[in-house]
Amino acid sequence: MNQAKKSQGTSSPIDIEDALARIGGDPDFLRELLDLYIEDFSFRYALLDKAVHRGDLKAIAELGHTIKGSSANLSLSSLQEHAFELEKAGKNGDLGKARASLAALGTEFRRLKVYMATRAD
Amino acid sequence: MKILVAEDDRVSLRILEKNIGAWGYDIIVARNGDQALRKIGDKNVRLAILDWMMPGINGLEICRHIRQNNGSNYIYVILLTSRDRSQDILEGLEAGADDYMTKPVNFLELKARLQTGRRIIELEDKLLESNRKLKDLASHDSLTSLLNRANIMKFLEENLDRGKREKQPVSTIMVDIDEFKRTNDTYGHFAGDIVLIQVAKRLERCLRKYDKIGRYGGDEMLVVLPGCGLKEAGEIAERLRLAVVGAKFKTLARVLDISITLGCSSSAGLSRPTPEALVKASDAALYRGKKQGKNCVVTG
Repeated sequence: MNQAKKSQGTSSPIDIEDALARIGGDPDFLRELLDLYIEDFSFRYALLDKAVHRGDLKAIAELGHTIKGSSANLSLSSLQEHAFELEKAGKNGDLGKARASLAALGTEFRRLKVYMATRAD
Repeated sequence: MKILVAEDDRVSLRILEKNIGAWGYDIIVARNGDQALRKIGDKNVRLAILDWMMPGINGLEICRHIRQNNGSNYIYVILLTSRDRSQDILEGLEAGADDYMTKPVNFLELKARLQTGRRIIELEDKLLESNRKLKDLASHDSLTSLLNRANIMKFLEENLDRGKREKQPVSTIMVDIDEFKRTNDTYGHFAGDIVLIQVAKRLERCLRKYDKIGRYGGDEMLVVLPGCGLKEAGEIAERLRLAVVGAKFKTLARVLDISITLGCSSSAGLSRPTPEALVKASDAALYRGKKQGKNCVVTG
């Protein structure tokens, strides 16, 4: 979809319009979903962190896949991309790539949390 | 219409739940494959949206399970998977999925696809219903709604077989309406039909729930009494006779007195109790009853 929009750094971590269009246009519902997403993400990230340290490639691929899907639902495209990188790294047995993507995923997640906090209206 | 949604990701599940609920479906949610397997047993579930990738049993395996253990109702299955696994379409369809969507789900598309599923389920229901009606029509007499001759004979044969295994007798009663030809000739065939229908109704009401009655031909009806000896059959026959003579029959134009004659026989009294032999013995008893002056029960 928004492959051209590599939203690293300064741009918004979420494409609000796209997300709203997908879920039916209700901003309150989007907020509810993002809260759910953040809760689940924190849990999955901890599991992913352990999996990367253990070198558990299967778990890395599975968790990457799940986070990818969840992110795609809410138009969190850069989180989706990093999660996809992790999934691929798990499948290809590339632990170096997994470590790098895990760090990038963490950074991007913090950016989402900051973004949410500044828009807490 | 009930729909099962199996999805392990809470965000996806919540979005599916909210949208599908708004379209008027009754949703059952499963958070993993094992839950989905348990909940698919609900007879009212007619549609299922299954996420392919789930911990434990995945969507594909659930789909195969549904097709292998298909009960009386068809379940329309839509499989969900991520965009990069679209090469799996074939595998999904071969497992028995009816449709396939990539995630993230486009909800306008899902709505339309669910409508397709609903249409197919409704068509299937109509087909099953008309099959049931046809089967009913083929096994019952159209005038009296009793079993037809072929089916009452089939019931007799099955019960003779079972009686042989369980060492239980089976009895039959041949019933004939007295002076039925004269009723037809005097008051017309329409009145005759009404009498026949009403006699059938009264007799049917008197029977135990495991007994059966069928229209054997013309105004002859055959009653089959599983697990019943000759003496008991005679008592039941007398009850049937009284149900007919006990109250007058109303046709459109007049009120008639109707009586029946009944011939009873039992498998216990026959050396080779075939359905035909039993019917023949009941018929012979009936004939004796007619000779004796009608409106009576003859056993043996």
